[in-house]
Amino acid sequence: MIYLDNGATTFPKPASVLHRMVETYLRMGVSPGRGSYDLATEAEEYVADTRAKAAKFFGAPDPDRVIFTSNATDALNIALQGILRPGDHVVSTRLEHNSVLRPLHHLRLKGVIEYDLVPFDGNGFVDPGEIAAAMKPNTRLVVMCHASNVLGTIQPIKEVGRLCGSRNVPLVIDAAQTAGVVPIDMESCQIAALAFTGHKSMLGPTGIGGLVLNKGIDVEPTRFGGTGVDSKALTQTESLPYRLEAGTLNLLGIIGLSEAMEFLEKAGILSIHAREIDLLGKLRDSLSSIDRIEIYGGEDLSKHVGLLTANVRGMTPEIVGAILDGDFGIAVRVGLQCAPLVHETLGTSPGGGVRFSLGPFNTEEEIETTSAAMRAIAHA
Amino acid sequence: MDNQAARHLDASNVGQRVRVLGGKEVLLDKEGFLWHPEDWTEEVAAALARECGIEHLSEVQWRVIRFLREYFAYHGRAPLNRDLKAGLNMSLMELESVFPEGIRRGARRVAGLPNPRMCSG
Repeated sequence: MIYLDNGATTFPKPASVLHRMVETYLRMGVSPGRGSYDLATEAEEYVADTRAKAAKFFGAPDPDRVIFTSNATDALNIALQGILRPGDHVVSTRLEHNSVLRPLHHLRLKGVIEYDLVPFDGNGFVDPGEIAAAMKPNTRLVVMCHASNVLGTIQPIKEVGRLCGSRNVPLVIDAAQTAGVVPIDMESCQIAALAFTGHKSMLGPTGIGGLVLNKGIDVEPTRFGGTGVDSKALTQTESLPYRLEAGTLNLLGIIGLSEAMEFLEKAGILSIHAREIDLLGKLRDSLSSIDRIEIYGGEDLSKHVGLLTANVRGMTPEIVGAILDGDFGIAVRVGLQCAPLVHETLGTSPGGGVRFSLGPFNTEEEIETTSAAMRAIAHA
Repeated sequence: MDNQAARHLDASNVGQRVRVLGGKEVLLDKEGFLWHPEDWTEEVAAALARECGIEHLSEVQWRVIRFLREYFAYHGRAPLNRDLKAGLNMSLMELESVFPEGIRRGARRVAGLPNPRMCSG
């Protein structure tokens, strides 16, 4: 199979990451920090080391402000529901995944907040000036993706961070499509909170992600329970990270994430990104030469992650995806990619598009096969 | 409450609708798929096909429908792409052209299989 659905989850994962994850869990799979025995202490130290690794990875100042979550959606829910208060206004964008749109919409339906979504241009980029224009006196938060999961465009978060910093409005970034393939420095980009998942370009397993908080941002807990610390009190502990991590941690996932970060450090995320963009350029050039194929977003791939979305005119994405799978053994993602407003803007709703998303293990030969398959489908 | 009343209540609760197709009252989901696969008859199939723009189902279309129903009855799920290809000895490219809306939205609906819910709508 040629796997081009890495935007959903990368596959395969590096075998070394999975083997080391299982080996460590076989040796140390106990409840971190919640026992009087040495192994629980070792597991807690391992978790703390992973927090430190993640803080360094994302240029965050304090490992204790790395909160483990089950994925980016979970992290975004913790952030949005824990930061926003009645009467707040939020600025976001029409590029967002439902992981941002639905929590915002839920809070609006409950009468808690109002929000405005700024548009993106014909190349798939949001203009920071539009975000500035959408801000109101009661704007409490700006939340946006680092890269679109439909168009692949990397957004100008440094400029947005500067804007937010100058207005004292926290910036929350959904890094689901960039963490592990685009360097992120929370301090220099003035990102107040960053949500990431471990199973996409981080190359870890599913079920682990994180919310990384910068200094000065306070997130109220929205889930309550055991933390292993301050157990006598009936109120949730004040101390981070435990305040936002009720229940036993996903140690297996944390080990996988830690091993994946080691793998990325050795492989180099800049070189992984450069390779994916090189292959994406070849795919784009090839697809753009086929008459019936329409590609969304601009031609310049210098600010892109390794994915693009296209359609074959006159065919539904669902049918194209089935033919790619059944006749050519190529796995892609079809439909709206859980980003309905992007497709509404592109005019591709409700069917959506065919998304080709590359990973670190794709090859030039696979791209050539995919191009040939799309040519055969378009000419059928 | 009798079955018919229960069906009407179901429909009003979750946005489904009760319709008469091929002389039979059936419960459809919001995308026009049968809610109860056992409601399917050849007459219901012909009526669903007409809604897809097929006035008369051809022999190849019936062959696809029969394969889908037999596979579903035996395995309890719809065939995968590779099962379709092997079972019908046709390419996906050919199969997808047999019904105007393709296999998932067209053939499966006419064959009375459940809605293949996925993140496309």
